[in-house]
Amino acid sequence: MKVEDLLSFFDPKHCIFELRASTKDDTLEEIVDLIDPEKDGTNRQIILDMLRNREALGSTAVGKGIAFPHGRSLVVSRLMAIFARSSSGIPFHSLDGEPTYLFFALLAPPQDRSNLYLPALGKIIELVREDAIRERLMQAENFDQFTAAMREGKQS
Amino acid sequence: MNPQEQLLVALQDLDLMLKETEDSREELSRLGFDVSGLEELRRARLHLVSQLDRGNVTHYENILKRYGRAITPVTGDACLGCFAKLPTSYRSSLYEGKVRTCQSCGRILYYPE
Repeated sequence: MKVEDLLSFFDPKHCIFELRASTKDDTLEEIVDLIDPEKDGTNRQIILDMLRNREALGSTAVGKGIAFPHGRSLVVSRLMAIFARSSSGIPFHSLDGEPTYLFFALLAPPQDRSNLYLPALGKIIELVREDAIRERLMQAENFDQFTAAMREGKQS
Repeated sequence: MNPQEQLLVALQDLDLMLKETEDSREELSRLGFDVSGLEELRRARLHLVSQLDRGNVTHYENILKRYGRAITPVTGDACLGCFAKLPTSYRSSLYEGKVRTCQSCGRILYYPE
């Protein structure tokens, strides 16, 4: 997957450059709140439960200050990616025991005919393994700076 | 969505996660994810099932066995599982609180809001 294809799943409205949350569960809630905030809350709860279950399976914080909350739900109509950041770091039960600063949430419908979900997840992981990109993502102040940082990847 | 429908959707999401974890375990591990909590998920499934009416669980399990997925979205009053036309009355308050199923294939219907 090319970086441009990956970036098409992000949206300026689905980015948080400074999370208010200081706990794992509050972080998931804040991320889910970005999706359809005017709806009645049913879908929000279903997505939140799905992400909580995914964390129960094993923390999605893979270390180096990054986490990838992700999963599929019937209430999600298309693949969507969410970026969130905490400059102070959040305890997210990461594999290296360190706080998590960068969050990439990926939500997908059950029917993903083009099978984009795991490749998209793999592409994000590949990009943010690079120290330089993570450093730029920590500095990004808006969506343009976020996409510019992501485009720095080797495989662009 | 009424509470039983909400629980059924959550159950299908959970079943999908269990299946995808089992099917893609190697790939998920290669991406660096810890997927050691399958037992935790199975316990969460038991808890969900305990909150559902027995008849709804039986129907869900039967349709799951038959089609691989028990719940399907509705678009334009058609079941997206078998494309059969659904009664427009399904959208009325007559069905408030009830779990709606496709009269043709039996799948449980999810009406996106």
